[in-house]
Amino acid sequence: MVVLRRSLISSLEQIPRAAPDRILGLTEQFARDTRRQKVNLTVGVYKDGWGQVTTFPSVARAQKLIDSDFELNTDLSYLPITGCPEYSSAVLSFLFGESCPQVGPRLLEEGRVSFAQTLSGTGALAVASKLLALFLSRTVWISEPSWPNHQNIFRSNGFTDLRTYPYYQNGRLVVDEWLEKLKTEVRKDPETRHSIILHACCHNPTGLDPTREEWVRILDTVHELGMIPILDMAYQGLESGNPPADAYVLRMALDEKRYKCWPNGLFVCQSFAKNMGLYGERVGSLSVVTPPAKPHVREHVDSQLKQIVRSIYSSPPGYGSRVATMVLSKSFLRMQWYKDVAFMTERLSQVRHNMHNLLKWPGLMNFQQQHGMFYYTGLSPKQVDVLRDKYSIYMTMDGRLSLSGVNDHNIDYVCEALDAVSKIPR
Amino acid sequence: MSLTLLNNIQQLPPDALFGIKQRYTQDSRANKVDLGIGAYRDDKGKPWVLPSVRSAEKLIHEDPNYNHEYLGINGSPELSSAAAKIVFGEDSKALQQGRIASVQSLSGTGALHIAAKFISSFLPGRSLYISEPTWANHNAIFKSQGVQTATYPYWQASTKTLDMEGFLKTIKDAPTGSVILLHACAHNPTGLDPTQDQWSDIIDAVASKDHIVLFDSAYQGFASGDLDRDAYAIRLGVEKLARVSPIFVCQSFAKNVGMYGERAGCFHLVLPEQENIDTAKVKGAITSQLSSLIRSEVSNPPAYGAKIVAKILNSPELTKQWHQDMITMSSRITEMRHELRDRLVAQGTPGTWDHIVEQCGMFSYTGLSPEMVKRLETQHAVYLVSSGRASIAGLNHGNIEHVAKAIDEVVRHFTGNSKF
Repeated sequence: MVVLRRSLISSLEQIPRAAPDRILGLTEQFARDTRRQKVNLTVGVYKDGWGQVTTFPSVARAQKLIDSDFELNTDLSYLPITGCPEYSSAVLSFLFGESCPQVGPRLLEEGRVSFAQTLSGTGALAVASKLLALFLSRTVWISEPSWPNHQNIFRSNGFTDLRTYPYYQNGRLVVDEWLEKLKTEVRKDPETRHSIILHACCHNPTGLDPTREEWVRILDTVHELGMIPILDMAYQGLESGNPPADAYVLRMALDEKRYKCWPNGLFVCQSFAKNMGLYGERVGSLSVVTPPAKPHVREHVDSQLKQIVRSIYSSPPGYGSRVATMVLSKSFLRMQWYKDVAFMTERLSQVRHNMHNLLKWPGLMNFQQQHGMFYYTGLSPKQVDVLRDKYSIYMTMDGRLSLSGVNDHNIDYVCEALDAVSKIPR
Repeated sequence: MSLTLLNNIQQLPPDALFGIKQRYTQDSRANKVDLGIGAYRDDKGKPWVLPSVRSAEKLIHEDPNYNHEYLGINGSPELSSAAAKIVFGEDSKALQQGRIASVQSLSGTGALHIAAKFISSFLPGRSLYISEPTWANHNAIFKSQGVQTATYPYWQASTKTLDMEGFLKTIKDAPTGSVILLHACAHNPTGLDPTQDQWSDIIDAVASKDHIVLFDSAYQGFASGDLDRDAYAIRLGVEKLARVSPIFVCQSFAKNVGMYGERAGCFHLVLPEQENIDTAKVKGAITSQLSSLIRSEVSNPPAYGAKIVAKILNSPELTKQWHQDMITMSSRITEMRHELRDRLVAQGTPGTWDHIVEQCGMFSYTGLSPEMVKRLETQHAVYLVSSGRASIAGLNHGNIEHVAKAIDEVVRHFTGNSKF
């Protein structure tokens, strides 16, 4: 018996240390840094001009309304497995009504969209990848570079074949190489069903998005190759300042004149973390657009989504979705929210320009074309290390810098340090 | 070729509990009663926000630093460390020795899911034993992660008591090093718990086979109103198995804090005491793996509920109020148990009904058959799970007479007066 016991204990002991998350691990290190001038440019959380994380005015008003509403503030019951109906209809009307007015409303009318409230974008990707891996596909194409968690999510949820497509090299997008690789590789492998993650706007980490013309070519290729598109829409509104406008890839993919249908579904993973500032409340959604004239497909997908969620966490958290529902469904709050997003985007773009003017890095980066929360500096891991160790300026190892951490008080310090490390050998 | 691909996805039956809720909501009868879902209701049949939760919310909203920023991957440390003290006790030796890894989870289900993923990744090939009957979702949570499940007998229908003999025999016959899922208190669905002596025998049987215990703790403090009393089995297990095997604890704050929908909970892993082993290192490795797992499914857990529970557990005034709140809930439920039993006995409803008051927690395993349950719903608008599990929290002074009469009618309908 003792021997058996040892064998059991040693199996726990043999567990290797998993690599710390590349982004959130840095936040922990930052918290321990005692230097006064330290600057955290890692996580994609919006900070105002004073370096504070503040609640959006629209969200703050929604919270007040909820607090004073007897019905809303006395029921902390379980939500249904795939979320509360009020949230579902508010988000569906935002995504498929307001953001895709041409085709979206008809999709909803025809009952072609399977929907689940999820734990923000990650939760949507996790549920989508589980569904795909169970029934449709275990091969996924991810941009190189991409958000590091994409790999982790798909591998951990049943995908066995993770591939990358070239996206960005030496300061520019490489759409030709990307599509060439897809065509060659996917055609070589016709028995496999391939999925592909597309960043709907504000590509993470590069901030560089294809042009509309390039998107046409990309979607044409994805469609022609029979791939399953997974739109990761985590930054809707942070490109143009206007949330519905930023859903352009979704609108293009749903253009029925060009793509009659996506026979294996179109997956939309959407988050209110960044554009509503609800990061920690975990509010987002998964929509699966199913093919036309097959109503049972949507019903079946619905039932599978329920089963998946039920075994991971039973039902999603309520609070954040009550806030988002309120913001989306009261028109004065929705208008305020659009203003909030425009204001945030304007500040980010201002910081980007100011940094550009201070740094004057000629041709190093495709600076003016970048969107969203991040500035992809192109610094090497070694340079990033020096920035952290010598200057207490924290950014992710891929050279991604979160713009909102820069403000009037630290911009000179940050730019001087960036300039200094850019001159040391890579 | 791919045109037909999605067509083969199978339609699944709706989740039984949520299905009941749906039918109940659509039922237009005025006297309808929901004894299905496991959520506390006050004597007016309304959801009850605990006064301690109200106070905590107020403090959080008034805090100038309140925002919606991400929690860390492992959640709020203020929550998980205070939560560990509640389960294991302030003076827990395992806590003092740093043998417990704790992370925030999406309530009990989220914690069980973490356990399932952990078992399938690091303790593969071990079967998980669950009680027969058990919470409907246990099986699905583990099976979906590829963990083999088996059952141990628990409820003896003929006597409406615990089948201790069958229970122990299965533990002893199970392959060495199996995982045994135990309900820490207020067994779901039966409401029937082992006595303290029986717990001792159960843990001894577990130790004799080097099994690993997984405690599902969904009702601590809700069952008896006393946190320590409801943690008896867990603390006994941690003490007795200290030199035998690790222990998993899945802790939910859905019921005892009354924030079902906010998904607050914790997963704890208690490492055994070992010589010549760097426990801190093992714990660090395990915590890092838990982080990777959480990161791949939710990135980081939801903040709101965690902040409220952490506030309650870390402010002495609020903790005191919370203890009072749990007594309010558990004593109302006890009162309803007695009233239902007394009414059934007074009506002369065929059968014995003492088990209703001997059970504890949210539920009573009434012993009503699936046909009786069906008739309760169709004829009397009284909703419970087909297993005969009734949520006592759904009873109140306004509906108990209707429920008692309805039970009387369906029992007589199916058994006739003479049978008992």
